[in-house]
Amino acid sequence: MTHEPAPETEPPAPDRPQPGRYYGHGLPYAPLDDYPGRIIAIEGTDGVGRSTQIEMLREWLEIRGYGVVETGWTRSALMQPTIDLAKASNTLNKLTFVLLYATDFADRLEKEIIPALKAGFIVLADRYIYTALARAAVRGVDRAWLRSLYGFAIVPHLVFYLKVDVDTVTRRVLESGGMDYWESGMDMKHADDIYDSFRSYQNRLLREYAAMADEFDFAVVDGRRRVETIQADLRRRLEAFLAPAP
Amino acid sequence: MSVTEWNSSALVKAATRMGKKKNLLTPMTFSLLHATDFADRLLYKIVPPLKAGMIVLADRYAYTAFSRDAARGVDRQWVRELYSFAVKPDLALYFRVPIEVSIERLMARRVKLKFYEAGMDMGWSGSPVESFRLFQGKVLEEYDRIVDEFGLRVVDASKSITEQQQIVRGIISAELEGLDDSRTGTGD
Repeated sequence: MTHEPAPETEPPAPDRPQPGRYYGHGLPYAPLDDYPGRIIAIEGTDGVGRSTQIEMLREWLEIRGYGVVETGWTRSALMQPTIDLAKASNTLNKLTFVLLYATDFADRLEKEIIPALKAGFIVLADRYIYTALARAAVRGVDRAWLRSLYGFAIVPHLVFYLKVDVDTVTRRVLESGGMDYWESGMDMKHADDIYDSFRSYQNRLLREYAAMADEFDFAVVDGRRRVETIQADLRRRLEAFLAPAP
Repeated sequence: MSVTEWNSSALVKAATRMGKKKNLLTPMTFSLLHATDFADRLLYKIVPPLKAGMIVLADRYAYTAFSRDAARGVDRQWVRELYSFAVKPDLALYFRVPIEVSIERLMARRVKLKFYEAGMDMGWSGSPVESFRLFQGKVLEEYDRIVDEFGLRVVDASKSITEQQQIVRGIISAELEGLDDSRTGTGD
């Protein structure tokens, strides 16, 4: 045991884990069979329009006869009040931050995602583990430790990464309510000014997502385009993926 | 000197209490909540006194998680990696009792075994005492592994308190030998 995890690490094992299986040490008490359901994760930084896209996808999928379940970051019944409290009180250090998020994810994995997979649903995940990996990594948490921690996560069947540049994120966030403390990375004390801090933080996040795109096989979607154009792109790719299914 | 107890951070208390009260916790969320609590205490309660040269007395440490979580079916290696952010203790004492003694003492101490303490969440038995016996049996097996793996010092806890205390003081005195009194922060 060492106190501070060492900063840099080598990524991935060459043989990638299969969709629908655990990434690493999974839950030995919940072995995964070939469940009929599918996990579709939508990733991307703040302000890329994930929830709008998910809402539209859901409607489209349901019309086509698929059962759809949505799951979203920090929405677990168990953890949401604690996470909100911790954010409000600013007492959170990076490690407790990471572990609270992981607990939230575990709760949703066991109570929402696995049951939905068993029942043949499509799980639309509004952010998956990658947001947690990115936010923690830019705060200096050891990447290898993070991947081991999330070894209990199930590999999604498809990860859409809505990619934008920092100018686009800045504009969109300002248009929709403004910058808040956490999404500006003010806790990292890189800048006193919230605008500078926001851009510096979002740039770091974008670099982290870019590095993960290959490691985790993201389907990269240009998120700078109009909502309808992006949706058409997502549907086209999802259709190709779902074609052989029910 | 500074004392830190398992599962005492204010941050995680609310979630843990709610989870326990409503029996909402799975082995994994149980494990992660306790790790979160530990991380919080490590930062605020363990590392600062260590830096000040004080002695930290920890009532349970990561080994409790290693044994309990593994007894609940969480992957052993995963839990060990999870806690790799912890400071390795200079000395770890394990008070070992046979399962029967453990049950006797618990029964004498209070009326009702707690749900998670008795491992009732595992659904192995509807009887709290029987469930505790089965669960605690597995916990003790895990501790036996841990003793070798991490070099815990075993104290026979079926002895009288006085005898145990003498043994413990002997072990700790030897450990502290050579440490300057002023660094332990006890004052007198």
